[in-house]
Amino acid sequence: MGKIGIIAQREFNERVRKKSFIITTILMPLFMVAIMFIPMLMVNMKSNEVREIYVVDESGVIGDKLESTTGLKFIPSDMPLDQIKEQQLDIFGVLVLSKNIADGGGAQLYTYGTSTIDIESEIRAQVEDIIETEKLKTYNIENLAEILADVETNISLSVKQFSDDGEAKDSSSIVAIVAAYIFGFLIYMFVFLYGGMVMQGVIEEKSNKVLEVMVSSVKPFQLMMGKILGIASVALTQLLIWVVFIVVVGGGLMSLLAGDMIEAAQAMSSGMPMDMEAMGGAMMDADLAAAINTLTDPGYLFRLIGGFIVYFIGGYLLYAAMFAAVGSAVDNEKDTQNLQTPISMPLILALFVMLTAMQDPNSPLAVWCSIIPFTSPIVMVARLPYGVPAWELWTSIGVLFASFFAIVWLAGKVYRVGIFMYGKKPTFKELYKWTKYKM
Amino acid sequence: MEEFLRVEHVTKQFAGHKALDDVSLTIPRGSVYGLLGPNGAGKTTLIRIINRITAPDSGKVFIGGKELQPEDVGRIGYLPEERGLYKNMKVGEQAIYFARLKGLSRPEAIRRLKEWFVRFGIESWWNKKVEELSKGMAQKMQFIVTVLHEPELLIFDEPFSGFDPVNANLLKEEILKLRDKGSTVIFSTHNMASVEEICDDITLINASHNILSGSVDAIRRAHGNGQYLLSFRGDVEALSTALDEHCTILANEEGETDSLKLHIGEESSVREVIGIANELVEIRSFQEMIPSMNDIFIRAVAGKL
Repeated sequence: MGKIGIIAQREFNERVRKKSFIITTILMPLFMVAIMFIPMLMVNMKSNEVREIYVVDESGVIGDKLESTTGLKFIPSDMPLDQIKEQQLDIFGVLVLSKNIADGGGAQLYTYGTSTIDIESEIRAQVEDIIETEKLKTYNIENLAEILADVETNISLSVKQFSDDGEAKDSSSIVAIVAAYIFGFLIYMFVFLYGGMVMQGVIEEKSNKVLEVMVSSVKPFQLMMGKILGIASVALTQLLIWVVFIVVVGGGLMSLLAGDMIEAAQAMSSGMPMDMEAMGGAMMDADLAAAINTLTDPGYLFRLIGGFIVYFIGGYLLYAAMFAAVGSAVDNEKDTQNLQTPISMPLILALFVMLTAMQDPNSPLAVWCSIIPFTSPIVMVARLPYGVPAWELWTSIGVLFASFFAIVWLAGKVYRVGIFMYGKKPTFKELYKWTKYKM
Repeated sequence: MEEFLRVEHVTKQFAGHKALDDVSLTIPRGSVYGLLGPNGAGKTTLIRIINRITAPDSGKVFIGGKELQPEDVGRIGYLPEERGLYKNMKVGEQAIYFARLKGLSRPEAIRRLKEWFVRFGIESWWNKKVEELSKGMAQKMQFIVTVLHEPELLIFDEPFSGFDPVNANLLKEEILKLRDKGSTVIFSTHNMASVEEICDDITLINASHNILSGSVDAIRRAHGNGQYLLSFRGDVEALSTALDEHCTILANEEGETDSLKLHIGEESSVREVIGIANELVEIRSFQEMIPSMNDIFIRAVAGKL
């Protein structure tokens, strides 16, 4: 085994045996699920407070037709606005429906506290509905109710994308957006997590003075590569555990809960007539069907997961080399701040570009950032679920790995100078000078 | 004696200052070679050049008559002054790791390590974590790791710092044993007493220059500057007056036996002085005062040689 291998093996053994590895491996998926779902839950969590609104109905038509909801209670009031105001009631507010409300007079909501969009849209929708119904009544149409029920339509729009071989496949924007978000964000997190691990490791070895002992038997470059590759194998092991975990748990849940839904979705997309009753009442709209079909398409999943792994490895290697160089240049973790900023910037930028790429995956910004190696791991992974032309993908991967070699070469030069420099905090300019030192 | 390592006109410049300026030295095979010099003189830089950790700007290093190649690093064992270990690793496992980086196979590393651990009486440490060891214990382990692959050239930078006298002595004996087995040892230190005890030859580096090279005995003799110590029983006054014409009396110590520190110049000979003294007092001893390496070091660095 070469020296890089021996070093990588030590890194791997030491880290995988640590308690913290086992704990993060178990807690990370829970943590990820938590940060994704807690905001969603928070949005859905409505306060169970009932807000009372006095309704001053000058029009005389609408007031009694307003229906109280779980959060809102409409109380018709005979008093004019000024009088209610004087009484200093403990209510949410007063809704004034003006006399000529239907002809542009509008309505006003006076509140004691802050109003919310939910409340406003609820009121607007109800009032508009009532006015529309009243207006329709003035046309004196017979059987109005039946006609309206008959006119009411919901259509399902299923999107099928032509693949390269001309076949039309289900394409789901929802799956694409979710996958783009999750995968892009995971790469961002992992690059920081494992890249930071490389940096910490280098700083630890340097301040421990272990490096002094090591450099007489191995070259600094071997040390750096050994560490980077060792931690890469830790990362891949951890990923593998998570993937297995997700497949087992996720797959189990899927087949348990959604078995007949998958059948239904497949039937629907192949255009078979569906008997809703036979489906056990599995209500299905086109979006859901497309989403399920996309998610169960092995080719699509392979492309996503394969792309994720390739870009994770490439992105990690590229950034880990830079993190190693920074770690070698400083004496302790406190000093890394100003050197780390230029490394973190492109990653954070990539995260923002990712968000725009999710809206428009083929915008020039998204395309360019998915080829530039410092942003491509995140941006390209976010574009992948939408489908990316093959040449763009291969160019991007080629550029990423080519720049990895260039960066490793440069970082190696900084590293072998850095590990012997103690005391002062270097600037980026000095790091650049170090790359030119003859050693 | 056969030459083992030769450093020829090595110069190394760092941003701002010259660490080594045209340094040359030759190290005989199978000797213990002292590399002396004050802090910041350039010793560590020279050692790093020999180790190929850094390259000289100009000049060359030869090992066994051939120019030093990258593979030659395997023939060297280096114990740096600043040395550390992975704190969370177990002693045995870590020793195996370092040994494997030196090119030993795992089984061979284990076999040799067990041998050394027994010899140093530290078998019980094998499964301890390094953070449980004291500084001296950790240094013992580092010493073992340095010499384990039985390199032809051993470089020790301040090996005795942090050792108690018992263990320092143990280490000294091991170093001399390694030399007797044929290893060449470079020994960098400020501790001049240990230089006199174990070094055959030395080079003194000061302010990036090699200012003094040679065998320890020859250097000490060459720097003896005509000072002698005469111990006797008898009349100090009479002796002093009688010797006045022949030599300078530097100091006069009275005790159970009186003694005089003399400087004998060109004008007289040792035999003459002893003759005069023998007439007047009972001589207990007469010896040349050979300067210690410590004196030579201090005088050389101060530019007073």
